[in-house]
Amino acid sequence: MSGGLRRGLAEFACRSLKAALPPSLQSWASAIRIETAEIPDDTKALQFALGSLFGLMPTALGSRLLRPSALLIGKAAPSHGETTTMNFYDIALRRPRATGSVCALGAVALGLCYMGVAGAPSHYLAINSAALAIGLAMLALLGRVMQAARQWTDGTIAVMAGALLATALLGNHVDGAARWVTLGGLSIQPSLVLLPLMIGAFARWRTALATAGIIAAAAAMALQPDRAMAGMLAGSLAVLAMMRPERQIMVALGASIASFIITLARADTLPAAPYVDQILYSSFDVHLAAGAAVLLGSALLLVPSIVGWCRDPANRPAYAVFGAAWLAGIVAAALGNYPTPIVGYGGSAIIGYALSLLVLPKHAQAVAGAAFRKQGEMDPTQPDRHLIVGLA
Amino acid sequence: MLDGRGQWWHGYELAKLAGIKSGTLYPLLIRLEGQGYLEAEWQQPAEGGRPPRHAYRLSASGEQLARANPPGKPATSVAQRRKAMI
Repeated sequence: MSGGLRRGLAEFACRSLKAALPPSLQSWASAIRIETAEIPDDTKALQFALGSLFGLMPTALGSRLLRPSALLIGKAAPSHGETTTMNFYDIALRRPRATGSVCALGAVALGLCYMGVAGAPSHYLAINSAALAIGLAMLALLGRVMQAARQWTDGTIAVMAGALLATALLGNHVDGAARWVTLGGLSIQPSLVLLPLMIGAFARWRTALATAGIIAAAAAMALQPDRAMAGMLAGSLAVLAMMRPERQIMVALGASIASFIITLARADTLPAAPYVDQILYSSFDVHLAAGAAVLLGSALLLVPSIVGWCRDPANRPAYAVFGAAWLAGIVAAALGNYPTPIVGYGGSAIIGYALSLLVLPKHAQAVAGAAFRKQGEMDPTQPDRHLIVGLA
Repeated sequence: MLDGRGQWWHGYELAKLAGIKSGTLYPLLIRLEGQGYLEAEWQQPAEGGRPPRHAYRLSASGEQLARANPPGKPATSVAQRRKAMI
């Protein structure tokens, strides 16, 4: 690499740092840039600039992430005397969706590490990265329109159930299973995208139409057949039923248990796909670090529900259902030839995880607005209860 | 820095002296400055035509902190404990 190129890269790193740091730290970015220019050796100058960029990136990210919550609670931007640990702790307490987004980012990154070490094709890594970007963009977009379109939530659950039934009946068949559709040349598993969201939405919005949608989804899982997703549905509804033993939930739980039993009875002969299924075990054969990345990435998926359960009692059903759904997905991946969510190859689970964050409150412990009950079906403790998803 | 007795230091110089990378140094400098243990200012170089450089030295409270926690001795103050959490 020529000296000019090294200087150019060092300058680029300094400019990137300046763009990343918040206004209160801009003078530090300028100081590093000038300091870099003063270093006579090109290689050392590049090392200095890159080291500063990577070293200060957590500070930059922490400041950017905390800014919205600081505005929300009327606090000024945090002083730099506060620790990064404290900043992320604050975010975790006040912004469950932001916490979930960070966990998704971490899990995908760990999954990329695993796939990189395991020698997965490079386009697998690109697809997972793109899925994360799409999922987080959809989360941001739908999070904004939720309030405006609240009345469509149960209808959306029904439409999503229709999409799952259509997949079972018209989707791509592989070894007797019909779980996939082809979109834009890519094979997508709609149940992984939609079902966690549907379950979370049902936990908050329980009308007759929403219940019918969940029953239809259970039928679709039995038809596909998909033990993992049927187990996810039954497991998370069982958790919801324990917390809120209401008639509509019990009916939906009954349908989901029947669906799960049917999937157990039906043959499932799909072999394990490399980098997708069975990686909780096989990753340790690749390298200890790869196995640790897969385990840690899987554990990260449950962090939003654990933190929320402990710190935000008013919204425990939402956190419990979210956690139960993704725990069921992880357990299914451990027991059978089913996709390992997020850390394995596959964009459907990544998008599904990001979308399922919509069921978590945007702001923990927010004051619930005026009750908008419809014959007692809504949970009055949910501050952010109106879920609408434009995924049909 | 304590040995410099009020001397101003530059970032690259400090990284070399302390034997740490810039990615470790600058977050520490930012934090110490935010906590009032470090003074930072832009200084005009002696040679003309060069841009001002950021220079650093310990503040009075920073010197006190450094004296109370010499190298090899475990940090005792609350601030040092908070720093260790990062």
